[in-house]
Amino acid sequence: MATTRANQSENKTPRFSLLSKDQKEEIYLGVVKTLADTGADVHNEEARDVLKKHGCKVDGVRVYIPQEVVLKALDTVPPTTTLYNWEGKENCRIEIGRTYFGPGPTPPYFIDPETMERRKYLRKDASMVARVCDALPNIGYVDSLGSISDVTNGLADLYEHADQIQNTTKPLMSWAFNVENARDEHRIGIALAGGEQAFRDKPNFVHYGEPISPLVSDKHAIDKCVYCAKERIPQVYTPCAIGGATVPASHAGQIVVAMSEALVGVVVAQLLNPGTCVIIGGMQSILDMKHSTYAYGAPELSLMSAALTEMVNYIGLPMFSQSGCTDTKKLELQSGVEATMSVHAAMLTGPTFVHDNGYTESGKTGNIFQTVLDDEVIGMARVIQGGITVNEDTLAVEQIRNVGPGGHYLYEDHTLEHAKEHWRPSLMNRDSYEDWDTKGRPTMSDRIVKKTRDLIENYEGPSSRVPSDVKKDIDKILEEAEERVQGKSQLH
Amino acid sequence: MEEKLGSISQTLIEGKADELQKQVQEALDGGATPEDVMNQALVAGMDAVGQQWKAGDMFIPEVIRSAKAMSGAMDIIRPKLSESGGAGSGTFVIGTVLRDLHDIGKDLVAMMMEGAGFKVVNLGIDLDAEVFVDAVKEHKPDILGMSALLTTTMPQMGEVINALKEAGIRDQVKVMVGGAPVSEEYAEEIGADSYAPNAATAVDKAKELLQA
Ligand code: B12
Repeated sequence: MATTRANQSENKTPRFSLLSKDQKEEIYLGVVKTLADTGADVHNEEARDVLKKHGCKVDGVRVYIPQEVVLKALDTVPPTTTLYNWEGKENCRIEIGRTYFGPGPTPPYFIDPETMERRKYLRKDASMVARVCDALPNIGYVDSLGSISDVTNGLADLYEHADQIQNTTKPLMSWAFNVENARDEHRIGIALAGGEQAFRDKPNFVHYGEPISPLVSDKHAIDKCVYCAKERIPQVYTPCAIGGATVPASHAGQIVVAMSEALVGVVVAQLLNPGTCVIIGGMQSILDMKHSTYAYGAPELSLMSAALTEMVNYIGLPMFSQSGCTDTKKLELQSGVEATMSVHAAMLTGPTFVHDNGYTESGKTGNIFQTVLDDEVIGMARVIQGGITVNEDTLAVEQIRNVGPGGHYLYEDHTLEHAKEHWRPSLMNRDSYEDWDTKGRPTMSDRIVKKTRDLIENYEGPSSRVPSDVKKDIDKILEEAEERVQGKSQLH
Repeated sequence: MEEKLGSISQTLIEGKADELQKQVQEALDGGATPEDVMNQALVAGMDAVGQQWKAGDMFIPEVIRSAKAMSGAMDIIRPKLSESGGAGSGTFVIGTVLRDLHDIGKDLVAMMMEGAGFKVVNLGIDLDAEVFVDAVKEHKPDILGMSALLTTTMPQMGEVINALKEAGIRDQVKVMVGGAPVSEEYAEEIGADSYAPNAATAVDKAKELLQA
């Protein structure tokens, strides 16, 4: 038997690299210098105090973070964090090199699954979206695709969290208007986990928060960041940077600002509670300078997201990115083209979470049909990501000899075995002309609509398994929140 | 003189602020009426900018340069117009409502309004109804603009309108609203006078309001 010689290498996946080591270092130095020289505004006293205590210069709300403090913070970032579903089963590892695609939070509008018209997002949509995402094989985590309009003003976040967490076993990402609502969401997590310590051991959701570009950690964002850090709730702290408007129009400059403002959250969280999980990155795209809209289908979104993923991983942090989004108003060719571009780019760089699958119209309308389309595209991109296995079996030299020139492979055992590995479309149509004609000539959109409606109607999700006493606890938390919010509005 | 006014328009289109102020001053010193400078040079120039923007021949950073140049020229022209009894383009006050921190859209609208010749007061973000009421009392604007990007903060625009009513000054000012979740219907519902989906339309609508 022959042995393989030394120094063989294998590409388990495609090789993709956007930035060179030198470029990464240059951008990193830009970030370090920005945090030290320009600084950032931090609207939370406790956060400023801890920064000051560790050697940051504080002037009013402005904080200047020297490099040694940044390094200290990066030192305690956890390399891996495990997430669980409400049933306590592991469903995600937040670490570099594992990728989970999901929808995005909070658009005001939603495409009605029946009428296909744009309307306000309703409470019933939140659990439906959770169920559909739970069912889609390539969607790795759940978010809402809208902000609920038919509950008490100011509690959209809490109702969404309460409904979604029960309707999925996949990881859940939740946002909050303010720290009070974040606390209530935490309480719901605790109720489901079975106690505070149980939640600490097995966190069952990720909190999502946003600083403001350029370089402002506003009160709500940083209050929530502080709360999550102390309570060990894994959190995303990422800006929504608009190239040419809230950050420089040059891509490298955008990345410098976006990374700097996100790192403020990392530093605050690590200093307050070393080892707590913080994910950074964030929505990166450009202001369309003709239409004055934030472009979600722009190729620059893919380019900058890829670069930022490399940068964030370079400094040892998990990345929160985006894909599968579009600027279209209804399902059409552009929806597919834009989504495919960004999904593939994301796949190649491998961020940890990739949000906004299902965002349309500049992030103003959530569209579950787009998510279903994206699920298929993600499946296709995974095939490329899977690379090619090269070994004696796959080289099939033996089979080639057996069949010889002019034969066929259809009857080979080898074919039976390996053809199973081929990707099978659930939406892409490969019918013969005649079959397609007989079926009524369905377009891609028709097939997406059919599949989505099937899932909405027939996929149940796990919510019926939530014990009734826990359901009661959740209802109580919601009732108390109602009282809290109503009490507040009477004060006004 | 016509040539001079034409070259003012051109300087405005090119967004050269200092040069524009110089040329405007020269034209006035040379005997041009403020009305002519305003209408034949500046308004004509900004109309051309608007058209080129809509056609995609100019893009926002260029348009903003012209708008800023326009604002500088108006600083010279405005006092002269009121001396001669002619109307300037009016005053526009704008801000983002309480608990809302989105500011870029509002800033864009503010700058485009400057470009349309308005005297603009940009109040900032996260503003109490009182701040709007006080600003209307203080600046006596022709139009009050409010921006809200969150469904939760939209109702605050209605609160401001109510506060204007309570202060007895609602009929002294036209109210214009905008922002991602705001719509024509919503504007009507809360009793605003006008809505625009973007900065370019906001300018058109503002001009309509002044004529009304
Ligand atoms: C950038 C952004 C942010 C940035 C803002 C940074 C900054 N410096 O302004 C940050 C990250 C801070 C942010 C925070 C939040 N955001 Co935000 N944000 C956006 C985003 C992506 C783009 C907004 C933007 O700047 N667009 C570009 C500008 C040029 O356009 P524009 O603002 O729409 O303005 C134009 C028109 O609307 C109009 N216009 C605007 N104002 C006015 C006023 C008048 C008088 C007129 C006539 C016209 C007019 O003209 C403008 C120019 O053409 C939008 C999505 C979107 N596409 O709108 C979400 C969005 C508005 N945000 C949203 C949310 C939920 C939030 C947060 C609650 C998120 C969170 N989890 O914390 C916080 C809330 C913070 C707060 N209290 O205000 C939701 C709102 C959903 C809802 N149901 O209300 C949106 C729709 C995103 C989404 N899909 O989830 N956000």
